[in-house]
Amino acid sequence: MELAAKTRLLFDRLRGGVRDAEQRLWPTTGAPPGEKADFLPNFCTGEVVFNVVVVAEMLAIVINLVIPRNFLSPTVLQDLLLISIFIQWVALAGTAVLCYTRKYLNRLPNLRALGAAYLLLLLTTFVVSECVVWLLWALGRLSTARPAWYADFHILNLTISAIINGLLLRLFLAKHELQSRTLSEARAKLQALQSRIRPHFVFNSMNIIASLTRSAPEKAEAAIEDMADLFRMMLSQDEMLVPVKNEIDVAKKYLALEGLRLDNRLTVNWDTGTFPRKAVMPVLTLQPLLENAIRHGIEELPAGGTIDTRLWEENDQIHIQVTNPLPKTRSKQMKSNPGQSLDNIRQRFQSHYGEQASLSSREENGLFTVTVILPIRGDNL
Amino acid sequence: MRVLIVDDEKLARDRLRELLSDIGGYTVVGEAMNGTEAVEKSAALNPDVLLMDIRMPGMDGLEAAMHLMGMENPPAVIFTTAYDQHALDAFDVNAVDYLLKPIRKDRLAKALSKAHKLTAKQIAEISQARPEPAARTHISVHLRGNIRLVPVPDILYFLADSKYVVVRTPTEEHLIEDSLVNLEKEFSDRFLRIHRNALVSTGSIKGIEKNPAGTWQVALKGYDKKLDVSRRHTAQVRRWARNRPMSG
Repeated sequence: MELAAKTRLLFDRLRGGVRDAEQRLWPTTGAPPGEKADFLPNFCTGEVVFNVVVVAEMLAIVINLVIPRNFLSPTVLQDLLLISIFIQWVALAGTAVLCYTRKYLNRLPNLRALGAAYLLLLLTTFVVSECVVWLLWALGRLSTARPAWYADFHILNLTISAIINGLLLRLFLAKHELQSRTLSEARAKLQALQSRIRPHFVFNSMNIIASLTRSAPEKAEAAIEDMADLFRMMLSQDEMLVPVKNEIDVAKKYLALEGLRLDNRLTVNWDTGTFPRKAVMPVLTLQPLLENAIRHGIEELPAGGTIDTRLWEENDQIHIQVTNPLPKTRSKQMKSNPGQSLDNIRQRFQSHYGEQASLSSREENGLFTVTVILPIRGDNL
Repeated sequence: MRVLIVDDEKLARDRLRELLSDIGGYTVVGEAMNGTEAVEKSAALNPDVLLMDIRMPGMDGLEAAMHLMGMENPPAVIFTTAYDQHALDAFDVNAVDYLLKPIRKDRLAKALSKAHKLTAKQIAEISQARPEPAARTHISVHLRGNIRLVPVPDILYFLADSKYVVVRTPTEEHLIEDSLVNLEKEFSDRFLRIHRNALVSTGSIKGIEKNPAGTWQVALKGYDKKLDVSRRHTAQVRRWARNRPMSG
């Protein structure tokens, strides 16, 4: 009882950890992993506005330093004030425009969104410049709305705007990209962990072990030992290569646990040929294949079924074949899933062997078969 | 209080039985291994409360709860689950009772003491919260307060008839209160609209024929009567017939 209570406590904590991690990663949007992140960043945040104001002010100072004295007004400070007001006006108007148009721009392909944002900024510059001329004329400071410097004024403003906005857009985009990449890396890590240790399996197994502690303590003991071994493998950080025999052992421990859970619904036939004594394969090659067969096959069948596992050596390659029955009626969700879990496994093989490894699957007469071919390694270790 | 235990794992059912006997005051009237059994046994045994796993082969716990709603006096339902984030979030929002596996005795006792019946609104909102709303595996038919489950693959067609929809299988005919529009949406991958008032199971279609009057009719496997294809749906039905997989 003591033991059961402790393990339950441990797993309640683990469950909390998984939930917390999920909530930390996509708290407000609830965006599922894999959803495409927005290309343009949010321009409405205080941080962006502050950065824009600072850069605009620096630009104002630079321009103030290079224009001739007494060009705009008698004093340096008055020059700076006028230039600052104008540039801040352009900069904040541009930020506001992007802030409000972002959700439309993000629907466009990336390059077009970028181009549109850039053009919008130039347009804002033009409109604000035009407003200034018009305002001066309306206030009676100019005798005409088209003063002699009208064209030069626009050309100058647009050129500076084109350069500065280009630089700023580049900067914000790079920063945004970095942030979303960090986020998606964190998601990928969590996904990788979850694809190794499926919470559904963990908590169901714990429930079963809790049940066994009363009715069959020896079985519970063996189950905890199997689970410990399995977890040690799953939590191992490095992608090591292990002897084929070890892989078969781990897979059998996993099957023993699932066997407790699924009772007489799960039957597994093993047909393992002989292998070079030192043949190796990536850690956790077999177990995910079997888990896939159980998850999308046996578990979905009220009467259960048989998994056929064959391992053999052929042309200096290890062949693994796992066959499981499929439920007759599957929801749309189930139809798409087996492929997805296999993709994870396929990626791991590729990172180990590149194009030398292959994973294929086929569906025939209600049977789903996955075939994996790995090059034999290890003789020269 | 009479309890029905529903879980596809035998040891999980055993555990609930033991915990219930520890708590005392509850009678386990039966066990079921999946949603279909849960509905049938609920109708036969009349339990006060169901302890039901969500993920089960065949009909899952959420669908079973949906069918139970149609009973004259539905039992209270407490869901049990190992890990099902979407369902749990929906349960929290809608104040539905649930227990996390491994199940704790004190939590079980507390949930049982305040167990209450689900409402149709709760069920509807939970179903919507699913990542991909799953189509029902069965249609429940109510006969004098009893529930009958008709497997969807057995259904030949749905025919709208004023207030009701006729559900036709090769051997029987039932009336349900549902709308053809909802059924069409839910079973879009399995049923084809051939008339304003008719949805036909694509798997049961034997062929499409033109009758002397120049209109089209659908012939069904294992059923003699032919169904009319309306003028408006002719093009769509013929397009389906051209693209149908040869295996049928």
